[in-house]
Amino acid sequence: MQLADLPSRRSEAWKWSDLRAAMAGQEGVLTGTAAIDAEGPISALAQAMGDAYGPSALDVAAPGETFETRITEGDAGQYGSVIVRAGATATLVERLNVSGSRLRPFLPSFSRIEVEPGATLHRVVVQANALPAGQADAAIVLNQAVVKLGKGATFRQFVLGEGARLARIEVSVDANEGAQLEMNGVYLASAKRHIDMTSRVTHRAAGVHTRQLVRGVARKGGRGVFQGKFLVERAGQKTDAEMAHNALLLEEGAEVFAKPELEIYADDVACAHGNTAGQLDENAVFYLRQRGIPDTEARAMITRAFLLEAIPQWMAAELYAEIEARIDAWLGTQP
Amino acid sequence: MLELTNLHARVVPEDGPAREILKGLSLAVPAGEVHAIMGPNGSGKSTLSYVLTGKHGYEVTGGTATFEGKDLLSLAPEARAALGLFLSFQYPMEIAGVPVMTFVRAAMNAQRKARGEPEVSAPDFLKLSRVAAAKLKIDPEMLKRPLNVGFSGGEKKRLEIYQMLMIEPRFMILDETDSGLDIDALKVVAEGVNALRGPTRGMLVITHYQRLLDHIKPDRVHILSAGRIVKSGGPELALELEKSGYDQFLKAG
Repeated sequence: MQLADLPSRRSEAWKWSDLRAAMAGQEGVLTGTAAIDAEGPISALAQAMGDAYGPSALDVAAPGETFETRITEGDAGQYGSVIVRAGATATLVERLNVSGSRLRPFLPSFSRIEVEPGATLHRVVVQANALPAGQADAAIVLNQAVVKLGKGATFRQFVLGEGARLARIEVSVDANEGAQLEMNGVYLASAKRHIDMTSRVTHRAAGVHTRQLVRGVARKGGRGVFQGKFLVERAGQKTDAEMAHNALLLEEGAEVFAKPELEIYADDVACAHGNTAGQLDENAVFYLRQRGIPDTEARAMITRAFLLEAIPQWMAAELYAEIEARIDAWLGTQP
Repeated sequence: MLELTNLHARVVPEDGPAREILKGLSLAVPAGEVHAIMGPNGSGKSTLSYVLTGKHGYEVTGGTATFEGKDLLSLAPEARAALGLFLSFQYPMEIAGVPVMTFVRAAMNAQRKARGEPEVSAPDFLKLSRVAAAKLKIDPEMLKRPLNVGFSGGEKKRLEIYQMLMIEPRFMILDETDSGLDIDALKVVAEGVNALRGPTRGMLVITHYQRLLDHIKPDRVHILSAGRIVKSGGPELALELEKSGYDQFLKAG
């Protein structure tokens, strides 16, 4: 693979996340990487960079199992598959922690996930930065999951993204009859951070229920990207799908780009999408200040509540608290 | 306690020209007194409440406003609140995701911190909250819900007074607190307000109607018209207004 093979802003799916430009100067990692196939560049890059699960799949047959993967500089990149057998329940936590010593970290990861009929998978992706700002300024973090849901399977996902020079967390789901989906996310884009949440759900058969709520905030010099697509095929009658993306631009010079899409070929469906990007409601801020809460705290309180609404209750308490703490740290430590 | 002298202020909308609303308003509310401000729509009643509390989009172009001798106009809204100024909003904001009790406790502690006082303890807070909620006939479950979200107009007004009882401000501005309240709710709310009357506190009650003043008896009544006080008097002035309307005073002004 060469730099010129990577998608740039000319490519519709990457128009706001110019991978080619971000990777300039990192050509070394492309050497020996296979050509990009229909699944896009992330799988090829992840395959070349590492194989942390090993050649055999992560195979979950027992209920209630939790798996955690960490993707750090030490084992850059992961490429693997997960299968949750019929009737089993599993939780998969993927941590995309940029850390380590490389000046320009590059962390691609890809997972192929199958949730068999009646099985349940909870997937949590935490893309966070625990390293000097200079490294996060240069880091490129790419994550993709391709998910296949059997009849009546349940897939719930939550993604926290703090961004990097370029971070993209992408998921595509192929949902069979009666599958239940929830795909929420929160992104926090401070200066020099780019966080892209891209998703696509194919409602292949009847009676799929999908809920998506992504909330994001951006400060000056930060950029959030949301691309969400619901495709309802002809057989996808009685699909019930709602997509919402709401962003707050906390400062002048913050950027948010959003493309919510519905493509529907069935005639008996309930599909909706809502997309907003705006500023904090100054009247609400004033209300809090009138009660004595200082301006900075008032803004943080409203922003926090706005973000917390996207964090699902199904998450384990510890994980929930961790996400909450990261949001608080972001709101508190950034002026 | 509160002294306004020749106050001029304009509203500066984000999209549109500034408009002069207060045009030389003078008013003094001594400690221990309740003053009512009455006036027709557009006379500047709400503007007055926002200018006193420091809302964005309102610009003072002349005159002074002091609270116990301190220049209010140079202070941030939260600093005015810490001095003891409380506005019961005509249209209380809905604050998604912030439960009432969390919010009120944060407000109380922020004010205490600004005044160099210790925080309210959790048991003390709960005790105060139970008493205030009972006084206002508020279902305690409501206090766990996000502030004002999905509340009826009357519930929101009750919640304003609940916050007032909790915060115990020194000076209260009630902006059309009676709107959206039925007569029973009005009585409950007025009792809550009256509980805070005292020799060290002051109050400005902004209203269209005499109705509220039957329950919160004012010491003085002022008629506001076109940004100025055109007539002041005792409680009988409100009754006179109720009978014969504003016109007679507006002409006089």
